Amino acid sequence: MKYSILIAMLLSISTLSGADKVQTVDAAAIEQTNAELSKVRAEIAQAKLDAAQATAQACEAKKESQRVVEELAVAKAEKEEEIATATAKEEVLRKNKSVHISVIGQGVAPMNTSSPAQAYALAKRAAIADAYRAIAEKVKGVRIDGQDTIKNMMVQRSTVRTYVQAMVRNADIVETTFKEGLCEVEMEILISHADFAQ
Amino acid sequence: MRSRDGNLNFSRRLCSVVILFSSLALSASEYLISYKYIVKDAILYNETLLISKAMTKCEGTPQEEFILQNSSEDNLKKLISKNPQEFIEYIHKLGMHVNHDEKTINLQNSYTTVLTLKTTCFKVDFNDNFATIAPLK
Repeated sequence: MKYSILIAMLLSISTLSGADKVQTVDAAAIEQTNAELSKVRAEIAQAKLDAAQATAQACEAKKESQRVVEELAVAKAEKEEEIATATAKEEVLRKNKSVHISVIGQGVAPMNTSSPAQAYALAKRAAIADAYRAIAEKVKGVRIDGQDTIKNMMVQRSTVRTYVQAMVRNADIVETTFKEGLCEVEMEILISHADFAQ
Repeated sequence: MRSRDGNLNFSRRLCSVVILFSSLALSASEYLISYKYIVKDAILYNETLLISKAMTKCEGTPQEEFILQNSSEDNLKKLISKNPQEFIEYIHKLGMHVNHDEKTINLQNSYTTVLTLKTTCFKVDFNDNFATIAPLK
């Protein structure tokens, strides 16, 4: 009996010391695990930081590429405009050169004419004036004045006025057609540098 | 000493010369011509050709001349009224002032074009079969 009690005591003592051991082992493991965890967390944070930096760089790169694309588009548009202007380049009056200008003027006969001949004559006169106007527009240019009146977010009145003032001489009538009350006069003028040299 | 007859002769000669020159000046065929026509919305609205004899002598040298057929006429108005189209084409060739005013209100367009030959002095020589007209510039 005594021995059994002794054994039991010894066992209990041994278990107690074993429990201490276990407890000490568990704390070290937890500490180690915590350290590993914090390390992993730090690595994750670093990875996140790296990822954020990479995203920012990607964004910048995207913006840069967009800017380059836009610049390319602008350059392309400018080039196309240059090509268009080069192809449809206006004639310039140079020394010892002349420019030939051809226009078509339109005129209408009034309603109250006494004869078809009168209608033709009047329509032709109107067409000549129109052709002169067209020549003046081409040679000297047009002054344009525009005005829009807006009230309560609505356009009340839209006005465009154009003016032409010029002196035209030596214009020739090339062809005249009269069809269904409309007279068309084709006129041409040859302008040389000497005409403007005074 | 000079005689009275000599003075009279001299004065007669002087008077005849003066009369001759003055008559030449009066019969000098110089005309002032102006031309204007207005076109409104593609329809001829008004046309004016004004011809009058010059009251004073014009200065300048004759430029591009124009020959009109003449049947012993010495009045430019009558002569031109017989060939108005040719004369107006000639005037166009001389040069016209173009004044164009166009309005577009609420997308409705209307315009007025005025073609003008400013008053110009023309020298006119009447002959039996033709008359030559030339502007003096």
